[in-house]
Amino acid sequence: MKFFRKIRTGLATVAIVTIGANAALADFPERTIEIIHPWGPGKAMAVSQLIAQAMGDELGVDMPVISTPGAAGTKAQITAMARPADGYTIFDGYVAPLVLQPVLGNADWNYSDFKPLQAAVSNAFSIGGRIGETRWSNFEEMMAYGQAHPGKLRYSSGSRNNLPHMVIAKALQSYNVVAQNIPYSQDGNAIKDLKSGVLDFAFVNVGNYIQDKSAFNILLVLSELDGAKASYDGAPNIIDLSVDLGLSGLAPMGWTWWIVNADTPDDVADKLRDAMAAAMARPDVRAAIEAVGFVPLDWNHSEYNDIVGPVAAQLGAMGNALKWEVEELGKLN
Amino acid sequence: MLLESLTAGFDLFFTPLAIGLTFIGILIGLLVGALPGLGPLMGIILLLPVAISLPPIAAMGFLIAIFVGGSCGGSISAILLRIPGTPLAAATLFDGYPMAQNGRASDAIGIAITSSAIGGLIGGIVLIIGSPILARFASGFAPPEYAMLAITGLFAIAIISGGSLFKGLTSGCLGLLLATIGTDEFSTGYRFTFDSYHMLNGFHIVAVVVGLFAVSEMALQIMGRDLLKIPDVKVARPGFRSIFLTLRHWKNLLRSSSIGVFFGALPGAGGVISSFTSYAIAKAWSKPEEKYGEGAEGGVVSVESANNATVGGTLVPTLALGIPGDASSAMLLGALLILGFIPGPILFEQQPEIVSGLFMVYMASNVFLLIAGLLVTPLFVYVLRIPKFYLIPIVLLLCSIGTFALQASVFDLMVMLGFGLVGILFRATNYPLSPIVIGLILGPVLENNLRRALLISQDGYWIFVERPVSAVLVTINIALVIGGIWYALQKMHIKRTGNDSGA
Amino acid sequence: MVINAKFLNWLVTAFFAVIIAIVFQQIATSMTEQGIASGGPYNNGAAYPRSISIAIMILVAGQIFVDQFIASNAQKESNLHTIRDLRRPAMLLIIFAVYLGLLKFLGYHLTTTPLIFIIMLICGARSIIKLLFVAILVAFSFAFIFEEFLSVVLPGGIFSFNIPW
Repeated sequence: MKFFRKIRTGLATVAIVTIGANAALADFPERTIEIIHPWGPGKAMAVSQLIAQAMGDELGVDMPVISTPGAAGTKAQITAMARPADGYTIFDGYVAPLVLQPVLGNADWNYSDFKPLQAAVSNAFSIGGRIGETRWSNFEEMMAYGQAHPGKLRYSSGSRNNLPHMVIAKALQSYNVVAQNIPYSQDGNAIKDLKSGVLDFAFVNVGNYIQDKSAFNILLVLSELDGAKASYDGAPNIIDLSVDLGLSGLAPMGWTWWIVNADTPDDVADKLRDAMAAAMARPDVRAAIEAVGFVPLDWNHSEYNDIVGPVAAQLGAMGNALKWEVEELGKLN
Repeated sequence: MLLESLTAGFDLFFTPLAIGLTFIGILIGLLVGALPGLGPLMGIILLLPVAISLPPIAAMGFLIAIFVGGSCGGSISAILLRIPGTPLAAATLFDGYPMAQNGRASDAIGIAITSSAIGGLIGGIVLIIGSPILARFASGFAPPEYAMLAITGLFAIAIISGGSLFKGLTSGCLGLLLATIGTDEFSTGYRFTFDSYHMLNGFHIVAVVVGLFAVSEMALQIMGRDLLKIPDVKVARPGFRSIFLTLRHWKNLLRSSSIGVFFGALPGAGGVISSFTSYAIAKAWSKPEEKYGEGAEGGVVSVESANNATVGGTLVPTLALGIPGDASSAMLLGALLILGFIPGPILFEQQPEIVSGLFMVYMASNVFLLIAGLLVTPLFVYVLRIPKFYLIPIVLLLCSIGTFALQASVFDLMVMLGFGLVGILFRATNYPLSPIVIGLILGPVLENNLRRALLISQDGYWIFVERPVSAVLVTINIALVIGGIWYALQKMHIKRTGNDSGA
Repeated sequence: MVINAKFLNWLVTAFFAVIIAIVFQQIATSMTEQGIASGGPYNNGAAYPRSISIAIMILVAGQIFVDQFIASNAQKESNLHTIRDLRRPAMLLIIFAVYLGLLKFLGYHLTTTPLIFIIMLICGARSIIKLLFVAILVAFSFAFIFEEFLSVVLPGGIFSFNIPW
């Protein structure tokens, strides 16, 4: 019967809409709200779908997550911000398109050009090797090997010039070790090649780690936060090895902060913020996010500048690690 | 292990949505198969955008069922209209149409559907047993092996799929080239994007394929002179009696299904080759009193069991290696990628429930095919009476909403239209379209693994022959090239001598 | 006027020539500027598309050679179409292009019913009332299925004409 009721309300609204009353902001939202997601389908998209679904429950509309990958996430951000500023399009503001790409000079915006809703999730990562490696047993031994064999180590950070690549390059630079990064579009393939010995080490996020703990020897957790260390069952972190990345807090990890166009009316943005806060507070949502290795975040829109500002500043200050790696590799060939 | 690989997907499959959509997929498959000019590939292409917004197993059930139903549906129009709905059913015509003329249309359709379902189930058994074994063997494959496999897949399709060797390879290369548009994963530079952010991730594969196949097909259909005609179709009501009629040919059924699975699992061979081969063998082994070509039941059994068994076979390399066997399975692979699953050994290792769910939807599709096919065929007879002038706008609308739905982009619609024009040009000049799809799917696999292999290698191209499996694949690729050239020369030689004798 | 195989072959060769020209032009300009047109596999994004283009060049040349010197000309002249035959497909494609162009500005609902209606007219159907009914029914039922069950937001156009089912 629901079906027929929908048809009836549908027809009634057709009549109303045709008369020309469609600017009723008081009734926001009255249709589907789309979340533009900067990556292809995978764990990150599943997490965004979880939040979107819960948020959709709060608002009473569908909230599909639309995957628009390309150019390290900038395609999605451009797409989302080209849409009308009516609150019907939300951008899943991952650090790569939101902060890192502008820092690297590949995008012409600033994180403060947008209206924040709320912080969503973060995702710490580590440098992992395989179990059964005979050449070294910890990070410092691997670095010693790397110093003795410049340019011979093979690793993957997922895609090139992403945040893990930047952070790993910085860590290697602090040991003066040059290694070749091999880009992989799917984490799974990099992990497979790590396990089979084709790669020497790779970036391993919490999700990869909990899927098959016994396969990895986590060499270095790239965060100084205790929570991240705990996620990797106490593997050594950058404080233990006194590696100075010049990064703290959220800066060395992946995270997303949902944002909308800066011209979005405040009452609309507030409705979205309330719904997102309610969605993020739901225990079932938090549990589901944690189950895939992500950490739910609780900062609201008023803390956006305080949290994202230092990240942007720190990433800006360390951009030379990638450049250094390319130059050193060039010298070897 | 086998039991486990079957049961893990129970929860995913036994949902009303997944079962319902698999059933609907069979109906749509039979429909696109029966309607001349469409076929399983077109059905998958047109409904892929619908599927990818659904839960994964329901989505794949829907698409796989369209593949299965579409591989059978062509027989309905072959038997009733003497027009094979798809090339797969071209050989069904030899005995199916005479059967209908002898007043046995219902039996012919019943036998076609039953043989398809049984052939499909036999294909499924091979799929369930064979693909995990292949996947385990391939679990040690690294970039050099994948680069070589991609080349094998591409060569095989271009060489075996018939027509001109040069044209097949050219189409395949065009697919590879199209796949390079967008952000280069290695250098992070932009290639062929013309400073447009729409192009940063290249063309969406569905927009390209919908344009190439569906839009160009509609432009072709509208040239026909029978747009308003309501085809004259006799009513056929196959019953469960057909099952017994079919099972009497059990030897033929087993033999033809095995041929179908074998050709399916070989990249490039596909349903058309397997159906003609199994028909020829069935005819050669038949008793004279069966009268093949004049309405022999065995003829329908051999063709239909073979072309549906091919579906199971073609899914083996698609799932286990991520290397598609033909254009339809390439689109299924594309759908899996869009849904976030990467076919290959990792899928078998890490998400056995998805693999198992795929096995279950495949087996269920064939069971549903038997039930639905026998029960609702009378309805399809009415569908065949829909004149084309309704069909053309509906298909075009489905093309455009479907393509738009992918990423809510009007740009994708322009891409679709552009490739519609390319499709028309290629059809007019006999350049095959399927290798473009294979090239598009295998393009990133080939380029990225090639470059990855070279980066991993400490001594350049030698990495491809230092690793044993890669070395074997290199040998196969060289053999394929030599074989292809030899075959092409033979054909030219025959043509020339034929000409000379005629002159 | 008759369109023959020779003309079509010329057209498809021209198509590939344009594609190859674009590849080399882009490598020489855009890719060189970005610094991805040279170096090893890590930095060189141009080597692979260049190799594929060269392969296409060789293959198309091979095909031309076959057409010219080896293949028989006997069956070539079959399947000819006159310009008259192409009238309907040309109209279809033009109407479809106009539809796609207007979609963004006028939205789905204002453009789709006319599209279906006109295509049926091109096909030669003439019972106006029936066609109109079919066109409206098809356009709205598709919109309903996609928007209600698949959460697609169809283009609303400058009037933001969307039906909240």
